[in-house]
Amino acid sequence: MVRARGLVVLTLAVFVAFACGGSTGGGSKGTIKIGSDLPVCTVGGQATQNGVKFAIDQKNAAGGVEGFTITFQGFDDCRQAAYSADAGVENVQKMLGDNKFLGMIGPYNSAVAKAEIPISSAQHFTMISPANTNPCLTKDLPDCSYHPQDLRKGNPNNYFRVVTTDDYQGPAMSIYAYNTLKFTKVGVLDDSTVFGVGIANTFETKFKALGGATLRKGYKKDQTSDFRVILGTFKTFGAQAIYVGGTDDQNICVPRAQMKAIGWTVPFLGGDGIETPDCINEAAGNEAGIYATSAGADATQVPSAASAISAFRAAFPGPNDFGGYTMQAYDASNALMAAIGRAIKDNNGNTPSREQVRAEMAKTTGFVGVVGTYDFDANGDTNLKIVSIYLTEQAADPSKTSGVCGSKTAKNVCFVWKTQFDFAKIS
Amino acid sequence: MRTARLGGLGVADLGFYILCAIAVVLLAIQAISSPADFLQILVFGLADGAIYALIALGYTMVYGIIELINFAHGDVFTLGAYVATTLIGFFAVSEDAFTTLNLVVLLLVFPAVMLIMGGINVTIERIAYRPLRNAPRLAPLITAIGMSFVLEGFMFLWHGPATVHVPNLLPHGPGFEGYLGFDCAVNSNNCVFIGFKDVFVLVAAAILVTLLALFINRSKLGKAMRATAQDRDASQLMGININRTIAATFFIGALLAGAGGMIWGLYFNTVSYNLGFRTGLIAFTSAVFGGIGNIPGAALGGMVIGLVAAFSDGYIGSKWTQVVIFGILIGVLVFRPTGLLGMRVPEK
Repeated sequence: MVRARGLVVLTLAVFVAFACGGSTGGGSKGTIKIGSDLPVCTVGGQATQNGVKFAIDQKNAAGGVEGFTITFQGFDDCRQAAYSADAGVENVQKMLGDNKFLGMIGPYNSAVAKAEIPISSAQHFTMISPANTNPCLTKDLPDCSYHPQDLRKGNPNNYFRVVTTDDYQGPAMSIYAYNTLKFTKVGVLDDSTVFGVGIANTFETKFKALGGATLRKGYKKDQTSDFRVILGTFKTFGAQAIYVGGTDDQNICVPRAQMKAIGWTVPFLGGDGIETPDCINEAAGNEAGIYATSAGADATQVPSAASAISAFRAAFPGPNDFGGYTMQAYDASNALMAAIGRAIKDNNGNTPSREQVRAEMAKTTGFVGVVGTYDFDANGDTNLKIVSIYLTEQAADPSKTSGVCGSKTAKNVCFVWKTQFDFAKIS
Repeated sequence: MRTARLGGLGVADLGFYILCAIAVVLLAIQAISSPADFLQILVFGLADGAIYALIALGYTMVYGIIELINFAHGDVFTLGAYVATTLIGFFAVSEDAFTTLNLVVLLLVFPAVMLIMGGINVTIERIAYRPLRNAPRLAPLITAIGMSFVLEGFMFLWHGPATVHVPNLLPHGPGFEGYLGFDCAVNSNNCVFIGFKDVFVLVAAAILVTLLALFINRSKLGKAMRATAQDRDASQLMGININRTIAATFFIGALLAGAGGMIWGLYFNTVSYNLGFRTGLIAFTSAVFGGIGNIPGAALGGMVIGLVAAFSDGYIGSKWTQVVIFGILIGVLVFRPTGLLGMRVPEK
């Protein structure tokens, strides 16, 4: 129904635009399009798109941006029920082909961003991702297989993100494990992927720097299905917990299920690759005691986001309509619309160019969103370097928890927010 | 059945014995330096080995009788676990405690899965191998690989790419697990864990292998299988129904693979659609290691490869385990093509 209401508002706005015909007065001066490119086939992607739509509907209801009405069009980068960089590229090309599009929210997956940035940067097309965490997209690090300057091909930076990067996730868990959980010995397991090895390295480095000891092991998905020997080695090492670097599609949570089979009950720690329903499914029978990080603030824990969340819940009442990145998408959309508004002023109240929007976005400082106040550095990274820590728990009402829940066997086991680390304040 | 020993006690055999001796010495050093670790890996390795043995038997029986490497066999094993999960799903079993219902379900589902998988494997033989019985040997090998993809594709469509949970039916938890160890009471890190499941896997595999051995050696059909393996044409002249005998071989091989799949599922509680590819190759290596076509050899080979994999996981690193196992396959083929106990294949 709310979507219908949004549609009515949009339709009315379009009528008004036609009626006024661009004449002077309080009417709309025209339309500007904002797109989103998200894996809408997934629960997380759909919930993120809801955040974009909500922000734009709200802005239009309040009069639009500098007299312009914003039209939203959501693109889906799913192919065969999974995100696809090819589909993402196609979507960006569609947006670039329509000069009313002045910016986009997305993508959701770092691999998609890697494919899209080279195309969008040539057109100075502003992209703001609400969910990408791969540091290589914005930082020139030696471990990266690709580098930001190569993706941008000499064009000014057009890519921004409102979440922080993986290189803060590992250290956040190190600090939590060493200082809060008081662990001094941890077994570290990686899935031999770029992401898994990278995040495990950042955990290990920080944990050792704090004074802890680690034992490192790796596996490959297509070669290992019996993890008990590796787990046994960790146990003999005296590990008080296991940190895993990897993602659920590499079976990273299968060792969790097998820990029960060898009667070993220490906590299981990891990055955002395990804060997923599939991880809970893989750990079937041993879901409790999984700690995971997420590379952003949990909006449900930020007091300033409360009113926006309750307004959102009223507009999108479904149990899965709100997700971990919905408010990030909301902030990203508002930051983009603020930049568009400034660009319109720069262009004397006329429709700005894509470069004007990009330049204004790059100048964004002190943008007050509901999750926090954002600045963006020259690479497009946010100053909000917040990492949240979640723990799996039995939830009375899975639709109201802060994190995701199991989707097959343990539907009441959910990730519940515990604490957060703000690296802008730590370092 | 005649045992063909290709190589005599030559340089190659000597190399084989030297390699084995080195491996044993290295393991002994580890065993002395950290006995708890060693024993723990031994327990896991034996349990894994028992499952590999069950699969390897299917490879070796089929190879022994029609000289076909049935690459789809590993996927029959995985399908067994999938079928078991589905059948168990019809009952309200408890994963928290071992109830009477669990026992009843186990006793019902085990034979059901074995029979279903037997039926499927006989169908596979009828569709993909029998029409090619007199074709060049490469043809059924290719259809076998094709069948493997068909089965994997089917399981992918059935349950998708994510891992599938198999209910934890067997007794587990406190009361059903024990610890061995030298100073276990003092240092819990030195405890060797043995669960009911580990014992269950070994006992179940031992029972199945014993039944198979009795069947092959004592029953009339077993005798027919041995005769067919030795000389197909002569057996046919003696009035043995070759098609029926070969179908029976596939049926029995799949009974064991289905049981293996279900045991794997009950043991690890997770399976994925492509599990059979790797597990099948390892079981095939076990069959070659024991001497292809040789039934006790396959059982022994499975146990040895299970142990090798576990020790490699523990002492070398799991990323190297595949290298070690297939290195052994190459080593056996080069230095001792007849395997540990000698291969038994049809006479030409």
